[in-house]
Amino acid sequence: MLLLVTTFAIVSQRRLSACVDLFALQSVFLALTAAVVAFLTGIDHIYVAALLTILIKAIIIPLILKRVIERLNVTRELVLNINIPASLIISGALVILALSVTQPIKELGFLLTKDSLAIALAIILIGFFTMISRRKAVTQVVGFLVVENGIFLGATAAAYGMPLIVELGVFFDVLVAGLIIGIYTHRLKDAFDSVDVSKLTGMKE
Amino acid sequence: MPTQRALERLQCLLAVVLWGAMAAVVSGVASGSDVSIGILLRTDPLSALMDLMLAFVGGTGLVYAVGYMGEKLVRGDLKLKHYGRFFFFFDFFLFAILLTVNLDNIALMWISIEGSTLSAALLVGFERTKNALEAGWKYIILSFIGIALSLFGTVLVYYASEQVLGVGMEALSWKALYRVSPDLNPAALKLAFIFILTGYGTKAGLAPMHTWLPDAHAEAPTPVSAMLSGLMLNVGLYALLRFKSITDQTISGGFTGPLMLGFGLLSLIVAAFFMLIQQDYKRLLAYSSIEHVGIAMVGFGVGGPVGIFGGLFHMLNHSLVKSTAFYAAGIVLLKHRHKIMERITGLLRQMPLAGLSLLLAAMGLAGMPPSGLFVSEVLIATSSYARYPMLTYLFLAFLILAFGAVIYHISGMVLGGPMAPDAPLNDRTLRFTTTALLINLAAIFYGGLYMPNFLRAIFIPATGLFGPRIEIP
Repeated sequence: MLLLVTTFAIVSQRRLSACVDLFALQSVFLALTAAVVAFLTGIDHIYVAALLTILIKAIIIPLILKRVIERLNVTRELVLNINIPASLIISGALVILALSVTQPIKELGFLLTKDSLAIALAIILIGFFTMISRRKAVTQVVGFLVVENGIFLGATAAAYGMPLIVELGVFFDVLVAGLIIGIYTHRLKDAFDSVDVSKLTGMKE
Repeated sequence: MPTQRALERLQCLLAVVLWGAMAAVVSGVASGSDVSIGILLRTDPLSALMDLMLAFVGGTGLVYAVGYMGEKLVRGDLKLKHYGRFFFFFDFFLFAILLTVNLDNIALMWISIEGSTLSAALLVGFERTKNALEAGWKYIILSFIGIALSLFGTVLVYYASEQVLGVGMEALSWKALYRVSPDLNPAALKLAFIFILTGYGTKAGLAPMHTWLPDAHAEAPTPVSAMLSGLMLNVGLYALLRFKSITDQTISGGFTGPLMLGFGLLSLIVAAFFMLIQQDYKRLLAYSSIEHVGIAMVGFGVGGPVGIFGGLFHMLNHSLVKSTAFYAAGIVLLKHRHKIMERITGLLRQMPLAGLSLLLAAMGLAGMPPSGLFVSEVLIATSSYARYPMLTYLFLAFLILAFGAVIYHISGMVLGGPMAPDAPLNDRTLRFTTTALLINLAAIFYGGLYMPNFLRAIFIPATGLFGPRIEIP
């Protein structure tokens, strides 16, 4: 539940660095959830996944993003495509959508985790919504990472974790993705003198 | 420059190794049994078919890239450091997509597809012009959304399969999934398939998730455009096909078919319209890729042995013909340094080989007989006519529109009086690019005009994965 709250908090934020902090906080909650699942089920490798979550998503990626924000000198999101109250209402609607979509397959899960699939899907959808509704490249990245967190929640809490090698691969990918995005935002800044994605309109049909 | 020569030799060596490995794997599978290494790598007929297509086009792509990027290096558009980096990403990209089709594990397959996406993201923005960076950013955002959706779909499949197979690696194996697919939970798979269709559909460039594709294809260095069209779209289709064959066994009564058919037709329609109004020849080829992915999807959506066979055969020929078209277009781009079709005429006289290749490729892409693409389009149309006659008229109408668009634009470039030569190309560039073009043309004539035995030996069992009965016309 806390996970969902942090997701809403990200939607309501204007300051970029606060978005990044909230993402780090969400990752910590995610790691705790994973640890609880690991404890209750006795599947050891979920502990490893929880540790990796803390290391990569709560420490390394927020650091990279903070450095990007600092270097680019953008602190506030001045223009939003959709204002904040409307965003929150849409996010609420997405949660209801997620609950109703997962209704038919809920019964498959184990007692402990019945609703986590719905929460996971809700987080994923809200993450996408963030990617669409924000205009700064960095916020779009945060949206993407929120989506990634939602998927991870789905995999650990609902499906008791993927095998370890798979988790490692996914983490590695997320890390590399974070790095590449860092490089790209830097180059975009050099070329366009801005990280406002709405300036990217050179190619329209 | 010793390092440039060393890099060139290394890439050519890689191409030869690739072809050797492909020949070994394909002949192994063609003799009737799956080839497997360990528990993670397993090549069945469908994988072998993909190997054949990917390794072949990848090999010629390497040879071509040596020539193309070498020219840029000689001109001073590119530093030696970047030249090396380009090939590092390029090789990594090829490695990732080849791994994808040989992994017997849905989640590891996702990881390697993601690997190819990441390396392609760097390759698309490689030239660092404003447009290239914009295309790269669009590609990153859209394909990350797509790849995240398909990961969630994969998690859902795992969620369903661990109920049957238990928690662990086995629940992710294609082979095990095929075995237990009738027992999986239909509702979970339905939801999973929708996520996977939109996710990997983005990767395959299906409309309406195709918007990254024309930009990326137009702005990436030409060898990369050829690889994106010829290989990456096919990898997206491959992932879709695998999940389709599982889902079809779980849910009887045509759940996946109409969805795939719908996306296929939409892609064809969107692409046909946009092809008419293009001014940039690389964008024209990019939209034509969307069109052909759409055609293959229609084949898969209609299903049945003929539809599936038509779709697979279409993928194979399209990747050969499209890479040929891009190779030729790249030579034109090097020579004229712009991509505007109106300002190019008389290629056939100015650059006979590139012009001829472009003309032949355009005829193939338009689906003129006797090309392989004509064969597969006829097969798809006949199989869809049996079930959806009205939709088939629509399909044919837009095929004709696309046909007109390609022929109109390309013939304008190829025919007519020759232009004054713009920038001379150096001999080494021509040697490498010509080799790549000639090998591709030979393959189009060899594999597209009649079906060699080894192809038949893979195609029949590959089609068999999608249903019990099979007759190849």
